[in-house]
Amino acid sequence: MWHQTCRKEPSIEVERRMRIKTRQFGEIEFDENKIIHFPKGIIGFEDCQRFLVIHDEDYEPFRWLIAVDRQEIGFPVINPFLVVPDYTQELPNSLVEKLFAADELMDLFCVVTLKGEGGKVTINLKSPIVIDYQNKRGEQMVLPSDSLPISHPIS
Amino acid sequence: MLVLTRKLGQDILIGDQVLVKVVKIENNKVQLGIQAPRDVAIFRYELIRKIKDFNYRASTTSPLQLKTAAGVMKQRMHG
Repeated sequence: MWHQTCRKEPSIEVERRMRIKTRQFGEIEFDENKIIHFPKGIIGFEDCQRFLVIHDEDYEPFRWLIAVDRQEIGFPVINPFLVVPDYTQELPNSLVEKLFAADELMDLFCVVTLKGEGGKVTINLKSPIVIDYQNKRGEQMVLPSDSLPISHPIS
Repeated sequence: MLVLTRKLGQDILIGDQVLVKVVKIENNKVQLGIQAPRDVAIFRYELIRKIKDFNYRASTTSPLQLKTAAGVMKQRMHG
């Protein structure tokens, strides 16, 4: 880790370390520049406006979206294209172009829930989360299509 | 909550840009016409309620259970 930090490209942004306690990972330390701002929050969690996207091997292919200001709040998410390959058809063209443009640093995620004792995985295809890493902005959008389920089983 | 009585064809203005018109009244259904700027999102509330409920459930996911589910998914995805 130390070597990596030394070799890093010089950046205009000054790194500022921040520490939070999470339910998923215990105490974590991260660079404040990694925070993604959700000006409208997440639907039902409008007061949560700053999030971290955490990628951890133990939870692959899921990731965690952790609320920086309410550390007990975290959403498991997944890249929907891994499980619903034709999902692009449901998305506005302008968004698909951006998502797959080589020079854009963006991610699309669907929120995940586990149901029942067996932990059946369902994902919300109706309102995916778009993350723009370049501008550090995120939004949970609501897609217009009536056929998209909020609770779509994938396992 | 503010409650207003309106007749067929009458309007309500919300803020200075959102106009809601009573278009049709039939049995126990009311049809509303809504005029609003493009950036004002308009949804049937039940939809937002369902998304909220889903998000609430997601936010209480047990990390341990997710790890187990992740293991199952990984196995399936990599054969």
